[in-house]
Amino acid sequence: MYDFNYHRATSLESAAEIYSQSEDPVYLAGGMTLIPTLKQRLARPTDVIDLGGVDGLSDVEQSAETLSIGSMTTHAAVAANSAVSSVIPALSALAGGIGDPHVRNKGTLGGSVANNDPAADYPAALVGLDATVVTTQREIPAEEFFVGMFETSLVEGELISHVRFSIPDRAAYMKFANPASRYAIVGVMVAKFPGQIRVAVTGAGPAVFRSGEMEQALASEFSPGAIDGVTVAPDELNSDIHAGQEYRANLVRVMAARAVEICG
Amino acid sequence: MKIKGRYLVSAERDQVWIALNDEAVLSRCIPGVKTLEKISNTEFAATVTAKVGPVKAIFSGEVTLSDLDPPNGYRISGEGQGGVAGFAKGTCLVSLAEAQAQTELTYEAEAQVGGKLAQIGSRMVVGVAKKTADQFFEAFKAEVEGQTFQKGSEGSNEDKVNKVLEGGIGSSRRALSPGIWIGGVIVIAVLTWWLSS
Repeated sequence: MYDFNYHRATSLESAAEIYSQSEDPVYLAGGMTLIPTLKQRLARPTDVIDLGGVDGLSDVEQSAETLSIGSMTTHAAVAANSAVSSVIPALSALAGGIGDPHVRNKGTLGGSVANNDPAADYPAALVGLDATVVTTQREIPAEEFFVGMFETSLVEGELISHVRFSIPDRAAYMKFANPASRYAIVGVMVAKFPGQIRVAVTGAGPAVFRSGEMEQALASEFSPGAIDGVTVAPDELNSDIHAGQEYRANLVRVMAARAVEICG
Repeated sequence: MKIKGRYLVSAERDQVWIALNDEAVLSRCIPGVKTLEKISNTEFAATVTAKVGPVKAIFSGEVTLSDLDPPNGYRISGEGQGGVAGFAKGTCLVSLAEAQAQTELTYEAEAQVGGKLAQIGSRMVVGVAKKTADQFFEAFKAEVEGQTFQKGSEGSNEDKVNKVLEGGIGSSRRALSPGIWIGGVIVIAVLTWWLSS
């Protein structure tokens, strides 16, 4: 690890202030990606701004139609939260299936979302559950937030304070996980809202995306068989030693069908 | 690992060819380029800051142009030294064809990683390489079309090119060069995979 200046921010405002005054700063949330990066000397920030000391970023608040979760809430805390599991059990299960116990107890919702790893689970939850990302500067609909591989619409210095999920009638998330890392080779969130079905896919492409064809098919008949005839174009999908494009394309349909089955 | 892409550039093929060989144009289009020096007509030295997710590193690379077949295309070979991580190298075949009043640019790139990187794997190498390639060629297309648009109009050339660039790539960061992105970015991509998995 290279040397850097360590700051422990006490508020989002002071964090942004330190950020603006630093030469090449980086925010630290749970550090599950950043710390290994620093250890391997693959990044050399001048200043690391730790958000762990900022109060009020790990609350879960429920309203009639939404569930708001603070950005510094760990995956384990989301998985164990009774409000989350009673209102959106699919979100609870998703958080409980991220990585390993270490990652779940250190990694945070905001950190995962801001990093936007193409194989992360949370992007599927945000897009599938029609979430809004609330930052220090504005509110961003999930579909506009995730721009591309490791790219979000966050601007320099902007921080996520919480994420507001819409509460669906029913939802389920199914993933085909890499057995070593538990990253999603393909993960699909299916959510049923009054008058709308949303199907969000992570792991398969450079970034999370919605499958309009599946949503249409499910809108006319909400059953696993309804998407049998939907073909997923493999051209733009990811390919690696674990799964080629064709295989990923098939996994999208299989995971979606399983999620629909769980939704019932 | 192979990646492919195709672009229609609204300019004559000769102009596109000239731009492909102009280091000033290349340096404006390469994402994250810090320096690009011409060593000879077919050799360049470049340093590039590449950023993918949390990884940010400076790569030094050499770019060689070969199989020159003006104005039909050439082959760019690049090798990027990624410091502690190892190295990556790649080649990119760029072809130009006349398509009515436009020029069709196609590329086919191939990349290899070596040393420590080779042990690491490639969860997202293809995605990052493809994205970077597209960033470069989109910027390149905007640059060439900006210059074409310039002809016969008044005003600062640089301003217009900048405007086109900004509108074209929608990002404040400029794109890696074919040779360099192939080398550098793949290094970064593999590293990113490695530490995030």
